[in-house]
Amino acid sequence: MLNHAEASEQFIQDAERTTWHDETLWFVRSKRDKASKVIPEWEDLRDHASQIKDHVLANLGQYLIEFEAKAKANGVHVHWAKDAEEHNQIVYGLVAKHGSKALVKSKSMLTEECHLNSFLTKKGVEVVDTDLGERIVQFRDEVPSHIVLPAIHLKKEDVGETFHQHLGTPKGNKDPQFLTEAARQHLRGYFLAADVAITGVNFAVAETGEFVVCTNEGNADMGAHLAKVHIACMGIEKIIPRRKDLGVFLRLLARSATGQLITTYSSHFAKPREGQEMHIVLVDNGRTRQLARPEFRNSLKCIRCAACFNTCPVYRRSGGHSYHQPVAGPIGSILAPNFDKKSNVDLPFASTLCGSCSNVCPVKINIHEQLWFWRQDLMKEGLAPAGKSLSMKGMAWILSHPKIYRLAGAMGRFVVKNLPFLVNNRLNPWAKQREMPEAPKESFQTWYQSRKS
Amino acid sequence: MSTRDEILRAIQENPLPVKSHPGDFQAYVHSEDPMGDFQASLKTVGAQIFFCKNGHEAQIALDGQYPSMVRYTSQEVVTSGLDLEDVEVLEIQGEFGVGENGAIWLRDDHLPHRVAPFICQHLVIYIRKSTLVGTMHEAYDRLEGSYADFGFFLSGPSKTADIEQSLVIGAHGARSLTVLVMDN
Repeated sequence: MLNHAEASEQFIQDAERTTWHDETLWFVRSKRDKASKVIPEWEDLRDHASQIKDHVLANLGQYLIEFEAKAKANGVHVHWAKDAEEHNQIVYGLVAKHGSKALVKSKSMLTEECHLNSFLTKKGVEVVDTDLGERIVQFRDEVPSHIVLPAIHLKKEDVGETFHQHLGTPKGNKDPQFLTEAARQHLRGYFLAADVAITGVNFAVAETGEFVVCTNEGNADMGAHLAKVHIACMGIEKIIPRRKDLGVFLRLLARSATGQLITTYSSHFAKPREGQEMHIVLVDNGRTRQLARPEFRNSLKCIRCAACFNTCPVYRRSGGHSYHQPVAGPIGSILAPNFDKKSNVDLPFASTLCGSCSNVCPVKINIHEQLWFWRQDLMKEGLAPAGKSLSMKGMAWILSHPKIYRLAGAMGRFVVKNLPFLVNNRLNPWAKQREMPEAPKESFQTWYQSRKS
Repeated sequence: MSTRDEILRAIQENPLPVKSHPGDFQAYVHSEDPMGDFQASLKTVGAQIFFCKNGHEAQIALDGQYPSMVRYTSQEVVTSGLDLEDVEVLEIQGEFGVGENGAIWLRDDHLPHRVAPFICQHLVIYIRKSTLVGTMHEAYDRLEGSYADFGFFLSGPSKTADIEQSLVIGAHGARSLTVLVMDN
């Protein structure tokens, strides 16, 4: 597997496409700014949402118990899964019980995290992703590159070609309206035939046992209201205490995500419909471990709006697949080391620590600080790349020896001025896309001393 | 030990400092013109809006919007959602509207089937002028104590921008939304 830097290097090979990706996501970020500035109390809302989530994390056990009791009283089956494997087994068990060979699934980052699709496929169950972006990447045997805009790494030409191959649309047709219509017709057949529908959960209300699913396309509802069995999969951190709290979160979610006023559909599922079976799977998969880490705990407040993706200068120029995780971007980079430090050691370093992610986060997660905390943690455990620890040690040594520091500075200035080819070459990663700056004539120290005299 | 107890024990093993719930959000700005906001919001989300004094005016508006299409007006419960597969235009009653985002609260006991407003090709919602609220906070105040087995906020026709961020109306749900605001 390529690490983030290596994968990014491939991503930016196509300069035009990289620029398009960068600008498109920045456009989404600008829409978020516009939509948030219409609300004068926006910052208070963020504060409030953050406090509700803090309260939830401090009382998670109690709210889970309350939610379970209310949901059961509503006639909903509640399951608990400690990890991805158990989650997948529970879902498969339900699918198998109903003898289904095909199911429809709307967007759920949790099922991506658990790799449910490949698990079910191996068991002979066809999983049809019904969100347009997810269907596109599924056809291409890829994974979503963005949690809200799954196919943002693709151009309409790519989608046109994919649909030509899989849906038989005319070759060369790349009109978004036409292609969306083709997907609508194609997926309608699956909606009408499916016995089982899987959805994610945006919010689960402890007070009432309801869960809320937000979409723009209406795919979650088309699936859930037609199927005999509805399975909703959620991480245990999705709980909120009261229904009224939804007022705060639904105002923040879509405005932060895409700059919309609200998603087209915000569906509140309380009870199964007549003759339907409704299941909720509550999944831990490392969340209780993250909860026990004080410096990383509040990453669990995330409502998956992806505002941090859209604003991140590194994400915008490296693409979601470079993060080799179902949740990419800044938030993904602080969630991933919790799953496995070793294979995700590159991610906390995939950032400039500029802090823009923390500034746009609707629930005020200190994302950039946590990136920095993870760096320290990973360095301490000796997991950081050898070159990184070596250069840090070397730097620390130079900085703690003033004479050597001055000598190194003088040498650096001499080389940059007189022998620039020694630094402007391919061995120096800093010089890959840029020229080294012009060297000053003298150091700050020399200049300062000459002023004093 | 069951997985449930294992998860709950893992949570309880690390008691966190007390954080109280901040309570209701009070700091919102009350709109002076929720109807004006509602109208603007519906425009933003791609819906049509008509103000009607009576049923006759509503019919004229709909005849203009959906000429020669069959309109499904029955609220009678159907057992299978599949029976509604061919509905062209569905007319339903909304509970109330929200000014700031054009959302309308709908509940399943006012629908022929839960899937009805999603499976139809075009959707028409009647709401009463007097029901309008300004923000989502007021919306949930209004919903306090009122529970639907299934209820939802709907704002505009179904849409997607998953292909190169080009907005396309009519993803899987209704291809158009017409809101009729009735005098009372």
